[in-house]
Amino acid sequence: MTTKIVQTEDLHKTYDKDSAKPYEALKGISLSVKEGEFVGIMGASGSGKTTLLNILATLDQPTSGSVEIDGQDVTHLTSNQMADFRSKKLGFIFQDFNLLETLTAQENIALPLSLQNAKAATIQTAVKTAASKLGIDDLLSKYPTQLSGGQKQRVAAARALVSNPSIIFGDEPTGALDSTNARELLDTLTNINQQGVSILLVTHDPFSASFCKRILFIKDGKIGDEINAGDKPRNEFYQEILEKLGTFEQ
Amino acid sequence: MLFKISISGIKARWKDYLVLFSGMIITTAIFYMFEAISTNNKFTTSSPIGQNAKIVFIFGSILLAIITLVYVFYANNFLMSMREHDYGLFMMLGAKSGVISKLIIIETLAIGLISTVVGIIIGIGFTQVLSSFLASLIHMSLTHFSAFYMPAVIATIVLFAILFLIAGFLNARTFTKTSALQLLRSDQQSDWKQPKALTLATQAIAGVALLAGGYYAMYDIQQLKVMAIPIALVTIVLGTYFVFNSFFVMLLQAFQRSSISHSGLNSFTLAQLKFRIRDYTKILSVVSLLFALALGAITVGTGFQRMVPKLASGNGYYSVAITNPNYEMHSLVGQIKDKVTVTYQQKVDPQAKRVYYRRDQLKEQPLKYAAFVSRKTLASKTFTAKPSQFKHSDSPAYQELWGLQKPTIKAYQIKVVGQQAFNRVNAKTNQLLMVRANDMDAAAAPLTKITNLQTKQYGYQNGEQVGGSFTLYQSFKSIFGSLEFMGIFLGIAFLAMLASCLMFKILSGAASDKIRFDMLNKIGTRRSVLNRSIITQILVLFALPGILGILDVAFGLQMFAKGGLLMGGAYQTFGVTTAGFLVLYLIYFIVTVLIYSRIVVPKTKVER
Ligand SMILES: Nc1ncnc2c1ncn2[C@@H]1O[C@H](COP(=O)(O)OP(=O)(O)O)[C@@H](O)[C@H]1O
Ligand SMILES: [Mg+2]
Repeated sequence: MTTKIVQTEDLHKTYDKDSAKPYEALKGISLSVKEGEFVGIMGASGSGKTTLLNILATLDQPTSGSVEIDGQDVTHLTSNQMADFRSKKLGFIFQDFNLLETLTAQENIALPLSLQNAKAATIQTAVKTAASKLGIDDLLSKYPTQLSGGQKQRVAAARALVSNPSIIFGDEPTGALDSTNARELLDTLTNINQQGVSILLVTHDPFSASFCKRILFIKDGKIGDEINAGDKPRNEFYQEILEKLGTFEQ
Repeated sequence: MLFKISISGIKARWKDYLVLFSGMIITTAIFYMFEAISTNNKFTTSSPIGQNAKIVFIFGSILLAIITLVYVFYANNFLMSMREHDYGLFMMLGAKSGVISKLIIIETLAIGLISTVVGIIIGIGFTQVLSSFLASLIHMSLTHFSAFYMPAVIATIVLFAILFLIAGFLNARTFTKTSALQLLRSDQQSDWKQPKALTLATQAIAGVALLAGGYYAMYDIQQLKVMAIPIALVTIVLGTYFVFNSFFVMLLQAFQRSSISHSGLNSFTLAQLKFRIRDYTKILSVVSLLFALALGAITVGTGFQRMVPKLASGNGYYSVAITNPNYEMHSLVGQIKDKVTVTYQQKVDPQAKRVYYRRDQLKEQPLKYAAFVSRKTLASKTFTAKPSQFKHSDSPAYQELWGLQKPTIKAYQIKVVGQQAFNRVNAKTNQLLMVRANDMDAAAAPLTKITNLQTKQYGYQNGEQVGGSFTLYQSFKSIFGSLEFMGIFLGIAFLAMLASCLMFKILSGAASDKIRFDMLNKIGTRRSVLNRSIITQILVLFALPGILGILDVAFGLQMFAKGGLLMGGAYQTFGVTTAGFLVLYLIYFIVTVLIYSRIVVPKTKVER
């Protein structure tokens, strides 16, 4: 039986709840991600993608509903427990601000482990392993300013991988990349996924989404539809996404 | 439309503007107060050392104006760091650069106008309080002094108008020369450059060597004489700069290589600091040097004040002398607790221009006189005069007695004669009462009344011609009192402004640091760890110039201790002054940490 890495029940999120104009961004979202899956969440701008991701990633709390990650209910954690949970169980790849410019690639990748106060030797091997998975062994001593956009994103991916997270979250990770670099990062993510790491990607870009194996469509704070790649080749799946978007966006 | 957006932008960050305003207002208030006291003729001429004080005050206000300039520059940078994004957006939306320039200039001037007006009003209040404190410090009455002084108001307005006009135009120029995109992304850029190892090492060694050389020069002032001052100035300024630019950077690199950098956020904290320190080299050097200057001014000022009784009693044994004391005088003398009194009979022969004293009286109750035995410790010794010592007019005993007589007979020659010869002199017998107060500070009130009465009696404008060491005590007190005031005042003003400059410099970087802290939060950093990193970073930035400044003063005081100016008193007030200084500095540190944390630490989103 495959375990569920992410499981949500009837998630609601209302912004400015106590104000004159409360805004309900999520209106009851139930979804699950199984171990080893590569799931995409698509939707127009303002549909609630970031809100959902922030809640799944313990960066924000839902107004009601439950979120379980790796079997643990994360909606009732204290802020310290949430922080520890993030550093141990979750990996992140963001759109534009990825790396600390004052640290080398090596130090950037090591940060999540340093935060857990891991031993220097442990950190060393973990960083090496993550770096070689992404093919950036020779970039470790460089500073972010000496790297290209694609290289930076790969360093960020290595950082997301380094603590062996249960799942990696990406919020429009290709948003700031040109098509070549975007393609490279998506190939890398596919590669990571094939090694057994679960990935949840939020995007509004059909090309990025076509790398996922399953796509959930979100509209006005609700999951509207779902499609599976199955064994289809990627360009066929891409066409299917475009068609779906055409009907879904109406 | 843009104007409306501009106002709403300000509203959104009103807390940051509040910080900016309070800083500007305090600066204006301090400047006004200084101008009001230094340019106010009533204040400077009613003091016996009026002109001297005036020069010192003018020098002070020039220094203050320079620091104000630096301050406005940093405060303005902080302002612009808050506005970059908005203005970038306006330009993106197609606002013409002329419109943007106008907006920026209006905003800068509006801030300048509000803070100057409020600052002057608060400054008037400060002046009222501080001037009475100053007056009591130098024993002076301030009957006609008013805290509101038009020329000072004008001077303050003119200075700040010029500063803000320059700031406004500079801001407008920077904005119109940078592209909208750059402005929008300004908080995402980094100017971190990895310094070369060899340059770093050379500078670090040179920096430490120069500082050591400077400290040695001040320590060895007896050998180097006047040359010690320029040598120390040049070496310490250069040394401080190099030490910040490389020595501390190398120290941080050593930490980075060590194992401590592997735990928690240490690697981030160290890297932030390493990056910061080079970016901050100039301001840290200036803060450290002016910190030293301010602390030094206070220490020397208060140190001098403590020396006054020692200095005065070494210059004469008796505090006052009264010719033919009346009842009032006797009762005033009676108010002095710990004292030694002697009375001699005296006859004056105006024809022969001679003053006669009785040998038997001088033998029974010998005259005492004081002389310094060590210039270094200011220790003085008391000697007892034999009657024969009054034969030569240049002997110390003769000089002491001569100085104690009433001013009208100072041109006459002193003759010590036997009792019969004394009786034969055809003149009325005067009583010369000499009083020594062993504790002049405690006896200051009756002694002041006595000298005032004498000044009135002999019609002299200047009390200094009345004999006794108390008049010296009084004039030292007034000189050193205003020196002390200057020291305290300038010291606090400098410290307040420099710490504010440092604060604004740190806060200006907060916008770009916010992204880093956001990211750290996302990858799972506990809030307490974030806070510890912030406190460490800011503490180091505050502590390093402070420590260097204190070291500068510790060695700088050697010049006063050995150079003969302050002698034993140089280090007397160093501890207390430094402690007071550190308290003020600590307050700035705490305020900076609080504001910075508010800007960079992501808000908790826990709602339940
Ligand atoms: N902090 C917030 N306060 C109030 N409303 C918000 C906040 N964040 C997002 N929203 C609103 O919630 C809706 C969903 O936003 P978001 O999740 O960012 O959408 P997406 O990422 O899909 O573009 C939007 O209408 C947005 O205006
Ligand atoms: Mg979004």
